[in-house]
Amino acid sequence: MIPYFRLAVAALACLLAMASAAFAHPHVWVTMKSELIYASDGSVTGVRHAWAFDEMFSTFATQGIESKQKGVFTRDELKPLAEVNVNSLKEYDYFTHAKANGKKTEFGDPVDYWLEFTDGVLILHFTLPLKSPVKAKALNLEIYDPTWFVDFAFADKDPVALVDAPVGCKLSVVNAADTAAATTKSQQLGESFFNSLGSGSNYGAQFANKVAVQCP
Amino acid sequence: MSRTQKLAALAVALFAAVLLGIGAEALAQANPFGTGPAPARPPAPGGIAGFILAKQAEFYRALAGMIRAAKADGSASFALLGLSFAYGVFHAAGPGHGKAVISSYLVANEETWRRGLVLSFASALLQAFVAVAIVGVAAVLLGATAKMMGDTVRVIETASYALIMAVGARLLWVKGRAFLAALRHANVPAMVPAAAAAAPGYPGVIVHDHEHDHDHHHHHSHSQGGHEHGHDHAHDHAGHSHGPEPEELAGPGGWARGLSAIVAVGLRPCSGAILVLVFALAQGLFWIGVASTFVMGLGTAITVAAIASFAVGARSLAARFAKSREGAGGLFLRGLEVAAAALVLAFGALLLMGYMASERMFAV
Repeated sequence: MIPYFRLAVAALACLLAMASAAFAHPHVWVTMKSELIYASDGSVTGVRHAWAFDEMFSTFATQGIESKQKGVFTRDELKPLAEVNVNSLKEYDYFTHAKANGKKTEFGDPVDYWLEFTDGVLILHFTLPLKSPVKAKALNLEIYDPTWFVDFAFADKDPVALVDAPVGCKLSVVNAADTAAATTKSQQLGESFFNSLGSGSNYGAQFANKVAVQCP
Repeated sequence: MSRTQKLAALAVALFAAVLLGIGAEALAQANPFGTGPAPARPPAPGGIAGFILAKQAEFYRALAGMIRAAKADGSASFALLGLSFAYGVFHAAGPGHGKAVISSYLVANEETWRRGLVLSFASALLQAFVAVAIVGVAAVLLGATAKMMGDTVRVIETASYALIMAVGARLLWVKGRAFLAALRHANVPAMVPAAAAAAPGYPGVIVHDHEHDHDHHHHHSHSQGGHEHGHDHAHDHAGHSHGPEPEELAGPGGWARGLSAIVAVGLRPCSGAILVLVFALAQGLFWIGVASTFVMGLGTAITVAAIASFAVGARSLAARFAKSREGAGGLFLRGLEVAAAALVLAFGALLLMGYMASERMFAV
């Protein structure tokens, strides 16, 4: 009887592990490059994103779109799709969350958006203007999908740039995957693991890609 | 606390944990962007999730790479099939794929392990078939766009969720009535004074009494009262041989009834399969994509079947301790079935109302 129960308990542990594995279910991978845009008075006005989708999703998204040349799409041909993308992203707050001096800052509707198709990869360009530009000593940006349908990661090279930022501003970027690796090392199957099972739907946040800018 | 009681308590706890696990998974799928501001972010560790994060991306990129390789070299198709299988097994651990619904259905419907397996496989293969049908008709024949395919999936998924609700409602109706009937029966032995006489040896029973329901208490009194041996009798676990075997528990209705569950769960295709199919189509390898989708479905079926088996196992474990179907033990089982049936109905309703995302269908 006892081995039977050990088996049952082991199976239960497996089940819990699987429940936590449910957290990880991305179908779309995005490689990001982002720019923080500053006005001449030193205030941040918005974020300019360039999101490159993975090959499979790029193919899916462009399926059935008519183009003059097969497998090549111009910006005009992709215009309706860009429209759909930007409109659907609104519901998800563009997966972009900003804090200026520790206070949440809202974004307005995106401007200057278009899609580009290069080497089988679809890239969505769009600019998110802050509702009101803000002078921030500390600016924090997080990009993630809480439901983890989309897996965001910064590009290896020049992931984030400051445009016209005041002199002396310092930029730091943390990629979500690095955070994940760090927690993997330190994590044990302890109480916190089981607590995390009940912590709701926000598991994607722990893999947020983080940008921090410190200005004098 | 005798061993029998400990085991009974464990069985109950285990069962609750299974339902809880399924429920936690369901909750984890909720869309936080429904209303209101961005929720507070609790610090959550991500060891296992972090590992899977890396693995999923690897799998996925390898899949795309291998489909491309198959175009140049046919022998890469075999590697692609192997990878698709592994992806299916692995991927099905995520939300969707009907694990929660199937597990609850199996528990509620007194299904046998074998029927559980068939249900898991049939629904997973139906999912693959629907994915192939959608991409085949929409993309290959009609040249539809991604948006049209997404809209089609949304219509199908609404039908699927409505069906899950219907299956749950029917189960709840049948099981609810059986529970009420058992309840009327169980009231009789509860009146017997022997129940009170048996009480002194059962502090443990009282402690966990509030965890499930009062009838559990009656169950012990009743069965112990019947045996008249008290603890001495516990070692041979007589209930095992007398207890209803899973086969005997399978309710009437046969395969026709199982079919409704298969269709309800299997109707909604896996987003991953659709992506693979469209990508293969773009490479001019639609049939390789079809093969990959079915092999992926097979892998998914194995994961779903494993979880479903666990649910069936936990249920029959609980059944072993509910020795008498007429007494409080049977009542307890009936109660579990009602809870599981309610869970199926709740899953359907939550999915239908969008509080629980099975899988998002390409909002981006």
